[in-house]
Amino acid sequence: MDNGFRSRVLPVVVGLLFLSAIYTIFFYAPTERVMGIVQKIFYVHLSMAFTAFLSFFVAFVCGILYLTKKDIKWDVYGSSSVEIGVVFISLTLMSGVLWARPIWNTWWTWDPRLTTALILWFIYVSYLILRTSVEQEGKRAAYCAVLAIVGFVDVPIVFMSARIWRTIHPVVIRSDSIDMEPSMILTLVITLAAFLSLWFLLFKLKTSVALTCKRIRFLENKMEGGDL
Amino acid sequence: MRDALLIVKKDLLTEFRKKESIVSMVFFGFLLLVILNIAMGIGRELDGEIAAGILWVSIIFSAVLGLGRVLSQEKENRCIDGLLLSPVEPEQIYAAKTMVNFIFMVVAEVVLIPAFFVFYGDRFARHLPMLVVVVLLVNLGFSTVGTLFSAITAGTRRNEVLLPLLLFPVITPLIALAVKVTGSLFEDVPYREYSSWLYVIAAFGFIFSGVGYLLFDYVIKEG
Repeated sequence: MDNGFRSRVLPVVVGLLFLSAIYTIFFYAPTERVMGIVQKIFYVHLSMAFTAFLSFFVAFVCGILYLTKKDIKWDVYGSSSVEIGVVFISLTLMSGVLWARPIWNTWWTWDPRLTTALILWFIYVSYLILRTSVEQEGKRAAYCAVLAIVGFVDVPIVFMSARIWRTIHPVVIRSDSIDMEPSMILTLVITLAAFLSLWFLLFKLKTSVALTCKRIRFLENKMEGGDL
Repeated sequence: MRDALLIVKKDLLTEFRKKESIVSMVFFGFLLLVILNIAMGIGRELDGEIAAGILWVSIIFSAVLGLGRVLSQEKENRCIDGLLLSPVEPEQIYAAKTMVNFIFMVVAEVVLIPAFFVFYGDRFARHLPMLVVVVLLVNLGFSTVGTLFSAITAGTRRNEVLLPLLLFPVITPLIALAVKVTGSLFEDVPYREYSSWLYVIAAFGFIFSGVGYLLFDYVIKEG
């Protein structure tokens, strides 16, 4: 389905990017003065949060495309994206909790960003539960597309409503400035690139497995029908 | 709009004769009010926000019972196929089912809210007109998302189990805002301090009535 050279190069690129991300995080980026070594979790945390949001956005777009075009490949893309997104949002929550304990002296607080991430986790896990509850392919695709759209539309509302509680989450990147050393920015960029390439690799693997499964099932049905 | 009202009339008539949804909604909500009162410690004075939380848990949990029936009753004897074959737009069916659910919730609340004042003290009843506004706006938000999800779960094998699993994550912000605003009402907080949250509740209802109106067609035709 895809050419062999490219499918062998991509894992190597991902591996190299991760090695350089690990190197820059631990040896190149300076240790933060107040928080110390714990701050280094930030690079991974932010990159995973970003990839998770990207996954849910991709699922939202695929949902719209499935409903308008009725092509099953959009369902494959959307559901693969959500599966990867759930993994990354879970890791984001866990790494955030690990950082918050030494810095805020609490594992969890009802801050808008934390609340939004947690509710996102709930929404997209319920998406995965819904997938296991419907057998017919077309029906499952339509239902999941609707849930992916509703879930994504809900995100800004969740964020707005969570402002009921005061925020203590650090705002590092604003629209006009970034409160970081240049070397820290470079580290962040490399880590982000590593995670984006990993996302792309997982997405490719996941969708090609799902599409191959569909092809095998199609051929099996054909053989039972006696057409081959 | 006339078609939608006809479906509403049909559903209300069915409900009036069978009385299955409303009775279980009111009974369950009432039961929750009692259980939560026991859980909070009997005879204790509650502050506004906790009382508001108890009220909303009772209302939302009881409303889910009625919501599951709104579309699954059409699945029995394949009534939904008849509805789809009739010259009624799917959007009209969505509007009708949302209205039916809205009305069921209002009927249940007419019993539950006075019962709440009886158990938790009528000092919470001071801002009744504003409470009615909040309740109606939350009903709108709940019914619009709920009806869409009810159509999804009615087409799955595990209707009753799946509906709250899908619905609660999406309406969590709605419940949080409802509790916050109702708590402010109970604590005599001036209007300007919670008005912006009230707007978000209203926005939730309007955004999801649009989303539901656009997406219901795709869900219901998969049946």
